[in-house]
Amino acid sequence: MTYNKPLPKINADTKEFWKGCKEHLIKIQKCGNCGYLRHPPSFLCPQCHSQKTDWISSTGKGSVYTFTVNHVAFHPAFQEDVPYVVAVVELEEGPHLLTNIVGCDPGKLRCDMPVEVVWDDITDEFSLPKFRPVV
Amino acid sequence: MSRMLMDRGGDTPVFGHFGAAAGYAMAARRAMHEFHTGPETWKHIAVGQRKWAQLNPRAVMHDKPMTHEDYYNAKWLVEPFRLPDNCLVNDGGRACIITSAERARDLKHSLVTIMGMGQHNPSTDFQQATYLSGPTGARQASKTAFRMAGITVQDVDACEIYDCFTYTVEITLQDYGFFRPGEGEEWLSGGTIEPEGKMPVNTSGGQLSEAYHMGLTPLTEGVMQLMGRCGDRQLGPATNTKEPEIIVCSDNGAILQCHSCYILRRE
Repeated sequence: MTYNKPLPKINADTKEFWKGCKEHLIKIQKCGNCGYLRHPPSFLCPQCHSQKTDWISSTGKGSVYTFTVNHVAFHPAFQEDVPYVVAVVELEEGPHLLTNIVGCDPGKLRCDMPVEVVWDDITDEFSLPKFRPVV
Repeated sequence: MSRMLMDRGGDTPVFGHFGAAAGYAMAARRAMHEFHTGPETWKHIAVGQRKWAQLNPRAVMHDKPMTHEDYYNAKWLVEPFRLPDNCLVNDGGRACIITSAERARDLKHSLVTIMGMGQHNPSTDFQQATYLSGPTGARQASKTAFRMAGITVQDVDACEIYDCFTYTVEITLQDYGFFRPGEGEEWLSGGTIEPEGKMPVNTSGGQLSEAYHMGLTPLTEGVMQLMGRCGDRQLGPATNTKEPEIIVCSDNGAILQCHSCYILRRE
């Protein structure tokens, strides 16, 4: 089946992140100078401006910081999903991640609800980190 | 429009997150978690501004009144926002001439001066931001502007607040100090911001009900109210409100990432 939704646009900053996702790992940048964890990936640290960067793997656990329930498909491929949930998840390690919450009635979703990653292998090249409530 | 939604959001379209409504809805949802707010608060803003639009023949929503029931019956767009929580999409233009006070005194219209102004830009993208439920940039920007003007919110006669969404109006007034977090619904109820209200807000109908001209909607309305050029919606005896001497205005950009506050005075 053809995947019709928008795909990630890989660039020099995001390449490593999406490569990690393919291996079902959420990779987060860690500043090699001050240790600050940052996402989305960028070439320098917003805290100390160092370009020295390491990568760590998140546990894939976190909580819902905030979310929306989308009732209109602004891209036709999302029509089959409405109403669907987009959320900002606060990972255990600290950084936030934009994602979808799946496997949960949108009406039962709450901020600060604990969630864990579930992988959606959408194409040969890409896997998307999505989240579901921890039962 | 579609290209703007697809190309400007980094990888957010991958997850079906599109445009400003979705970003502000994220902010509004977090606010609902942190203090008492939600549609029951925002309906007062949407309906109140719509009442002003009924007095403004140029408003897109003139002759389209809205009740609280209409608000609740409107369709969800990006929950927690219904359609009337969103500003309008329209064509049009606005201009405002800024010149020296000396030059302005020679012109046909009465003089309106800038008493104070402040900006604060917390900048962080909404995905990482932790200020979405306040204090936003509005807090520090207004402190700077009010200090420069040498006044407090008690001295303000009306507000023209940048209203891309209803929640933007609430969080701006809250951060300016008109009410404490979670007290918006009580402050707004009873017609506070409407014609005949004690603190008129967005007296043209604003961007929710008059027209979206970015920061020019609040600016031009503030200036024209102080000049006395607003016809049926003119503050003062025409709308049973206080004759305005001082009006506070705002502008903001991105998902609450930048904020400007400025205070206008009739000379």
